[in-house]
Amino acid sequence: MILDEDQVLIKKTLKGDKKAFEELMRKYEKKIFSFVIRMVRNEEVAIDLTQDFFIKVFTVLDKYNFEYKFSTWAYRICYNLVIDHIRKNQGQVQSLDDDSVSARDMLDSENVIRQDGFSSLSQKETRAYLWQMVENIPPKFRELILLRYIQELKYEEIAEITDLPVGTVKNRIFKAKEILKKEMEKDGLPA
Amino acid sequence: MACPPEHKILEYLDGETQGIEQSLIRDHLLTCPGCRRGADSYARLNQMLLQPADIEPPAWLVPQIMKKIYPELPKYTSIAAMIAASFIFFVTWIYIYFDFSSSSLIQALQLTADRTSGWLVNAIKAISAVYTSIQAAFKASRALLDMLLGLSPVAPWIITFALAFSGMLLFLTTRRLLKKSHGNKQ
Repeated sequence: MILDEDQVLIKKTLKGDKKAFEELMRKYEKKIFSFVIRMVRNEEVAIDLTQDFFIKVFTVLDKYNFEYKFSTWAYRICYNLVIDHIRKNQGQVQSLDDDSVSARDMLDSENVIRQDGFSSLSQKETRAYLWQMVENIPPKFRELILLRYIQELKYEEIAEITDLPVGTVKNRIFKAKEILKKEMEKDGLPA
Repeated sequence: MACPPEHKILEYLDGETQGIEQSLIRDHLLTCPGCRRGADSYARLNQMLLQPADIEPPAWLVPQIMKKIYPELPKYTSIAAMIAASFIFFVTWIYIYFDFSSSSLIQALQLTADRTSGWLVNAIKAISAVYTSIQAAFKASRALLDMLLGLSPVAPWIITFALAFSGMLLFLTTRRLLKKSHGNKQ
């Protein structure tokens, strides 16, 4: 069996090589942290969850099946941790199944930074604004956009991680993009 | 080809279409200005989504996690482990080598038991049983040692290797136990 870069690091970690696990963490820390913080929208919580995630990965690393991609396996652990956290703190964070709150309502909420004169915004600022919008769309859409564009996963991998049918993943990503596009157009942004 | 539904164009832009479907959409976009406009718009959105504003985790995060996963032992722990391991190791080997089977300890215990009763007798009997077992193990080791010494000219090397190996094993086990208890405390 040919092992990829991650799997070689896992083998070394399982043999007691500390540096190998550190390398694995360095490789994934940004993506994991970016995903977590955009889901929970709280830096302290994101740090704790990222920490919990890596400790959990280390603890169950011996159960990892080398026939599968490490990233999918790891993102599934991360996703479950974040979802568990959100479910436990539903009062503080938007419910995952909350259909009553539309993306429109969310975008109009006071959480969204609204500025005038978008035409003068640089590409970087436009991108920052778009991501601000992503952070404010309902979690059931947001999580898929994050998995697709931060973790750069395929629809099938996302379906595997979230336990959703591929069709639902496609639909939700489509709807999320539609919302984002409409919002950007409405605000005169170059979408 | 009729205009494909918008979600199909999005799938195409996300690289999620294959084969004929992919070719059909690509060809259609070349000839249909309406669909191309929509596709360009989503392509720009994709591009921006693929370049998220960086959210850097704190620099201390990975070192902190490493400390939690691999708790460092205090400096003296290794030395203490080595001394403890060496002590147990040498006492064991000296015991085997000099064969203390004639030890009077067990006899003294048995005499004590003769003059007492109740739980103390049982306790002494239990100690005596354990002691006898250990003594038997030592005797077996001693017999093996004698056999090896008389068996071959390489016997001293084998014994040296066995000594070094068991010493190392003892040291590593002691160190691991200390490390584990240290980790649990944290």
